[in-house]
Amino acid sequence: MTAQETRLCGLLLQEHFGDVVEKVGTHLLKNGTQNLRTILHETGTSLNLVKKSLCVLMQHGACVFSPGRKGPGSPTEYQTSADRILRILRYPRYIYTAKTLYGDTGELIVEELLQRGHMTMSSTVKTVADRLTQNMEEGRSIDYSEVSSAFSNLVETHFLQRCPILHGTGAKDSSAAPAAPESATLPSPESFPDCYRVPQIQLFGRGKRQHSGEDGEEQRNAKKPKLDPATHGDEGIYWQVNFERFHLHFRDQAIISAVANKLDQTSSEIVRTMLRMSEVTTAPNASCTKPLSANEIFRSLPSSYNISRPILDQYLTLLVDDPMEFVGKMGESGGGTYVVNLNRALANLARATLESVVQERFGSRSARIFRLLLRKRHLEQKQVEDFAMIPAKEAKDMLYILLSQNLVQLQEVPKTPDFAPSRTFYLYTVNQLPTARMLLQSCYKTVANLIERRLFETKESKRLLEKSQRIEAILASLQASGAEPEQLTEVEEMITAPERQQLEALRLHINKLDSAENQVDETIFLLEAYINSTVRAVSPVKGK
Amino acid sequence: MDEVKIKKELNVTEPTEVENRIKELCLQFPQGITDQVIQNDLPHLEPQQRAMAINKLLSLGQLDLLRNSSGLLYRLKDSQISGKMKGSDNQEKLVYQVIEDAGNKGIWSRDIRFKSNLPLTEINKILKNLESKKLIKAVKSVAASKKKVYMLYNLQPDRSVTGGAWYSDQDFESEFVEVLNQQCFKFLQSKAEVARDSKQSPMVQRNSSFASSHEVWKYISELGISKVDLSMDDIETILNTLIFDGKVEMTVIAAKEGTVGSVDGQMKLYRGVNTIIQPTGLVKTPCGLCPVFDDCHEGGEISPSNCVYMNDWLDF
Repeated sequence: MTAQETRLCGLLLQEHFGDVVEKVGTHLLKNGTQNLRTILHETGTSLNLVKKSLCVLMQHGACVFSPGRKGPGSPTEYQTSADRILRILRYPRYIYTAKTLYGDTGELIVEELLQRGHMTMSSTVKTVADRLTQNMEEGRSIDYSEVSSAFSNLVETHFLQRCPILHGTGAKDSSAAPAAPESATLPSPESFPDCYRVPQIQLFGRGKRQHSGEDGEEQRNAKKPKLDPATHGDEGIYWQVNFERFHLHFRDQAIISAVANKLDQTSSEIVRTMLRMSEVTTAPNASCTKPLSANEIFRSLPSSYNISRPILDQYLTLLVDDPMEFVGKMGESGGGTYVVNLNRALANLARATLESVVQERFGSRSARIFRLLLRKRHLEQKQVEDFAMIPAKEAKDMLYILLSQNLVQLQEVPKTPDFAPSRTFYLYTVNQLPTARMLLQSCYKTVANLIERRLFETKESKRLLEKSQRIEAILASLQASGAEPEQLTEVEEMITAPERQQLEALRLHINKLDSAENQVDETIFLLEAYINSTVRAVSPVKGK
Repeated sequence: MDEVKIKKELNVTEPTEVENRIKELCLQFPQGITDQVIQNDLPHLEPQQRAMAINKLLSLGQLDLLRNSSGLLYRLKDSQISGKMKGSDNQEKLVYQVIEDAGNKGIWSRDIRFKSNLPLTEINKILKNLESKKLIKAVKSVAASKKKVYMLYNLQPDRSVTGGAWYSDQDFESEFVEVLNQQCFKFLQSKAEVARDSKQSPMVQRNSSFASSHEVWKYISELGISKVDLSMDDIETILNTLIFDGKVEMTVIAAKEGTVGSVDGQMKLYRGVNTIIQPTGLVKTPCGLCPVFDDCHEGGEISPSNCVYMNDWLDF
């Protein structure tokens, strides 16, 4: 947990849940596991508010509780997870992915679940159906069953999963969150056998249109008590978004696009097929996919690609021969068995990311030196100059700049124990993992900066925004009451031309900042995936 | 034949004859002769007489005494140089010898002092003298611009001294290197494009996108961008920089002995490749490139709210 992460988490919490949750959340992030009384005391917030913030955090899985460490009877302790809070940054991407894979219905399901933390299937289906109906033309609506089947699809492909059920009391409590009473470690939802089983729900009907206007709201409120007591057979089974599954999907997409860039479209389609085939059989954190024989791959290739068997073999050989080693060959059986080297691919992608950072920031010649060091491991200054074919003076300059930015490390190898400069080798080297970690921190800081800037921009034009909102509201109400067109234009003109221009500029700025946040998040994802995979490979899984 | 032998044996005791015979032998074996060779050739010669003859030749400066792994070697001195060296004293000869030994790598005046044990002022005088006689020359080394090394006048300086094709007057020609770098890449890229458009099977496509270093060398030589003659090795160094630029890939394949461009039965093949990712998201933001990134804090002198880079970027 670094200062940058805490800062970013704080900003995200503030944006999504408000100031109080932010206060409690950052306090927990900074101080680790604490019980309710300590939180209360140290944040100086009222009991009620702290309780509510903790509930909010738990609802979203960002906080877990466990019995006190001081033995039975000691107060329950709370702990937040920064990883989960940082996921908020990726929400747009999850929602977008769901949209591309499962259309509008999938998008809304994921969006609802993300916004509410966890929900039962029946309530999700109802909300989504209502929202879809809302956007349809008058007189049309969507059947619950359609939404249900989309939901089941998402569960079947593991994009959604059940929240783990709590042992003991309060299993159906609304604040139930994944937590294991016995151990402090978080139980993975996967460890429950029913994790991806869709319950039978009795839910008939169609999405209801939410009527605009006061009486529509009342009508709904009047209906609510009638609806609520109806049971759908899935009470107590809550669903959440399976972030890991989304991440696997992102990772696969990154690999596929890398192959498409490096080789060609057809190779990337072959890799896509291989990844899709092994989607279910490969463990989430495996270093490579399960071996697939060329015959199997051939059979699973969509016929629209029009790849004949010999051509497929050639493509596979090419993929294996490629120095990036995205695909590896395991054996000869079944026409040759192949795997996708997931970890290797991630490492390569991360390396390309580092190179691209150096390239953009310090120019292509520095990038040449950087790549040279990545390739040759340890080099003396003179060797760097010779290999990179850069004049000594410039090469020295670039090396020292890279060194001062911690992108390049210096290793001293003394010939004598006195470390006299004349008798010491100075070897330059690049350590990929620490460098990736460092860049990840700069990414966090960058996103935090972008958010701060966005908040600043909105704050600066707060008055203007409020005014435009007010005028829009007036316009809407005038329109509803059937006002004269002259009246409407008169109201519209309350916003002057320069003000309109300013609003337009603000909108552009915010969009730019938003998209930049998402772009940086892609870098964050790649670096995180690489770091996690490497750390996993180095230290084998701790008894799971 | 017999006559010659008899004649030789007759005159063998004459000191001048012995000297001439040794010189003849030396001419026969320009790389030098050992004591054993003289002994075999003049078996009846007393060791003392032999030593006297050799000593005389050495003192006249007509023979060179060299040492190699098997023992001492005698070699005839270049008559032209010995002619030039006429009128020089022993010190001068000594310095000349030291410089000669250094070959085309040259030798630094300080090292001459260590080897010859002469005072520096003396050496400087001698060096100046020899330079004016055009026996030796001073070459500036690229390794250290202030350092002058001396070598014989007729020698071509070693690559390590001049820096090879990439240096002109001790200056690294980085522009030249960049131009070559771009040209090589252009060549490989166009080759890869042709291969891609050929619509052949993927294997053939890949194989035809490769170019051997010899092909690249030929292309560059025919372009005529270089005033100096570039060797294959030079081109390979350039191609290596392209590899470090991440634009080119290299493989080594086995080639038949005698194929054009193969070295030791191996052939280096290069091809242009694409990068695997677009510029990453981080560097698309001003923060990714910000020079004062580490000093940036909210509420500080430099902060996201008052960031000038951010202003420019947003209004772009």
